[in-house]
Amino acid sequence: MKKTFSIGGVHPNDSKISAGCRIEMLPVPQTVYISMAQHLGAPATPVVSVGDRVKTGQVIGEPAGFISAFVHSSVTGTVKSIGPRPDLAGNKVTHVEIAVEEDEWAEGIDTSETVVREIPRDNAFILDRIKSNGVVGLGGATFPTHVKLSPPPGKKAEILIINGAECEPYLTSDYRIMIEKPEQIVIGAGIMKQVLGGPRTVIGIEDNKPEAIASMQAAVEKLSVLSPSYSGIEVMVLKKKYPQGGEKQLIDAVARRQVKSMGLPIDVGAVVQNVATSMAVYDAVMKNRPLITNTLTVTGDCLPAERQKNLLFRIGVPFSFIIEQTGGMPENAVKVISGGPMMGKAISNLDATTVKGSSSVLYLTAAQTVRRPESNCIRCAKCVEACPMGLEPYLLNKLARNGMMEELEQNAIQDCIECGCCLYSCPANIPLLDVIRVAKGDVMRAIRARSAKK
Amino acid sequence: MTTTIIWTIAILTLLGVVLAVVLYLVAAKFRVEEDSRIDDVEKVLPGANCGGCGNAGCRAFAKSCVETMDLDRNFCPVGGNGTMKKVAAVLGIEVREKAPMVAVVRCNGSCENRPKVNDYGGYASCRVKAALYSGDTGCPFGCLGCGDCVAACQFGAIRMNPDTGLPEVDQDKCTACGACVRACPKNIIELRNKCPRGMRVFVSCVNKDKGAVARKACKVACIGCGKCAKVCPHGAITVEDNVAYIDFTKCKLCKKCVAECPTGAIHAVNFPVLKNKEE
Repeated sequence: MKKTFSIGGVHPNDSKISAGCRIEMLPVPQTVYISMAQHLGAPATPVVSVGDRVKTGQVIGEPAGFISAFVHSSVTGTVKSIGPRPDLAGNKVTHVEIAVEEDEWAEGIDTSETVVREIPRDNAFILDRIKSNGVVGLGGATFPTHVKLSPPPGKKAEILIINGAECEPYLTSDYRIMIEKPEQIVIGAGIMKQVLGGPRTVIGIEDNKPEAIASMQAAVEKLSVLSPSYSGIEVMVLKKKYPQGGEKQLIDAVARRQVKSMGLPIDVGAVVQNVATSMAVYDAVMKNRPLITNTLTVTGDCLPAERQKNLLFRIGVPFSFIIEQTGGMPENAVKVISGGPMMGKAISNLDATTVKGSSSVLYLTAAQTVRRPESNCIRCAKCVEACPMGLEPYLLNKLARNGMMEELEQNAIQDCIECGCCLYSCPANIPLLDVIRVAKGDVMRAIRARSAKK
Repeated sequence: MTTTIIWTIAILTLLGVVLAVVLYLVAAKFRVEEDSRIDDVEKVLPGANCGGCGNAGCRAFAKSCVETMDLDRNFCPVGGNGTMKKVAAVLGIEVREKAPMVAVVRCNGSCENRPKVNDYGGYASCRVKAALYSGDTGCPFGCLGCGDCVAACQFGAIRMNPDTGLPEVDQDKCTACGACVRACPKNIIELRNKCPRGMRVFVSCVNKDKGAVARKACKVACIGCGKCAKVCPHGAITVEDNVAYIDFTKCKLCKKCVAECPTGAIHAVNFPVLKNKEE
């Protein structure tokens, strides 16, 4: 029997409309705006000044803390301005504006397409490459990858999970790279496996992606014959269920280990990396190529089939440019989402630019976005059944509305992963996640303030 | 038959007497000494339990008054000076009169002044909306218009104006308890001096963006030009982070700043209308 995580979860229609579309290159606009806050943690500090000429792949932002990452220029051109600019939620973030010229890559970057399979033996060298090329987790949280690959002393990685679940409906970018660039992903997995000291390595893929499973299995077989570094990497087929791609859910599904409240995956000896991150690790280590491109899906029910796309884009390209290049916004679209329909964010400002973690431009129609009127909780406990973290969303909602902070903490609101299963399953249309997310923020702040005081 | 009844009555009576003695002894042993003045003070309070004084409710306020015997730091905004005088009489101490306050909404970003740039389709709560993004207008500082302040007001003193999409405070009903101030995630609402006849001069904007950006988002934004600060004869106006603020303790209601403001961000309300100005 295929494995999946043990508690909660929902089964939204997967709507992978763009699954059959090959990855295409998105042209580069005349101006790109590169955000300095593309990762979890402290925003990077710009290290270029107005008027400087930058090459593709050149460092333009340096990490401003331990949990932070390098930012590179995705184009060749002249720095026009450095200053605050609204991101997709309208919050002001420092961006570097670059006027694009003829593409010229910085020295030392291998731009060829030949696949390099020989993994360097020096782990410090590998980690340095991953760090200096600005690799962050591309599964959604954009946590700096080199930090995740350096477990704290006393903790050892026993299992490395490569996340190919892509459980969000509509998104197909991970699916396409698994079909088109499986070798690179497996090599990336091999590199991370070596850095972590050779733990068991599993590539987890949901069963709604048979082509990707076949392609990844073929790549693993091919590579394991070539070099012992790749032997023992397994491809595990998982039963489709949302949110399988959640870190803690995937660890449960693959290894049957449960991360305790407020714990990290490494506490149970697990490290989870997305397939796209794995590919970025390959690019960074083998090609010395910084993370300046990523794949995103342009999709939606209201978008005609021929305009569904999977695009390789340069980071810093405005969303408005992507929409324009793919034939404009469909007429009946009322909302544009970046990320999946379950956890993605609505783009309130189309002039916002893509970041390392951008994974889609998803159009939703009025019928798909309308909020049905809220009614009273009937205590059916569907949300409790759906919560993959074992929380009681109806209770958290009640406590949050009454501002009962201590009780919220006792009921583990801080463990909420904001997957939206509760809201999805609620027959009374109670905005459970909206209320819980705000209260979770308050509780997390209180916890941080308390630990800072100690 | 009769003996059973007699025995029953006798046993129950005995039981009652024994338990009464036990209860009496326990009550005497675990008696909590409480100042009787707390009850007296509580009786003169409004009993709204709104928390506007900073205590959990009216009883907690009464306790605080009795324990500290300091009415400068304990003030009931709902009852106002009248109630405080009664509290002072109960406690037998002096109380200084406090100027009455009123909640003031410092945003004038109506639909007309501040055009919408996107539609918010999420849950209608300012706190939720503020946590998601910067809002449906170009101004990331202004009123979100979901009415968290209206819901927070226990006195029915705030309502949303459907034409402007902004909350309006009924100054007669407002008790200055501060519930709306705490409910507003954008910190737009402020408690200000009520002044004679409710006359007030205040900057109706909290936008910290630079002038051009603020003006682009909203026609009546404070652009931080500082003209008002220069013209103020009482030194009541300061400009910080591109936004002016009028200190109501220094303002003498001369209205010079109102005439000087290029965007009309400074509001003067409840002033008698001068005849020659109308012409």
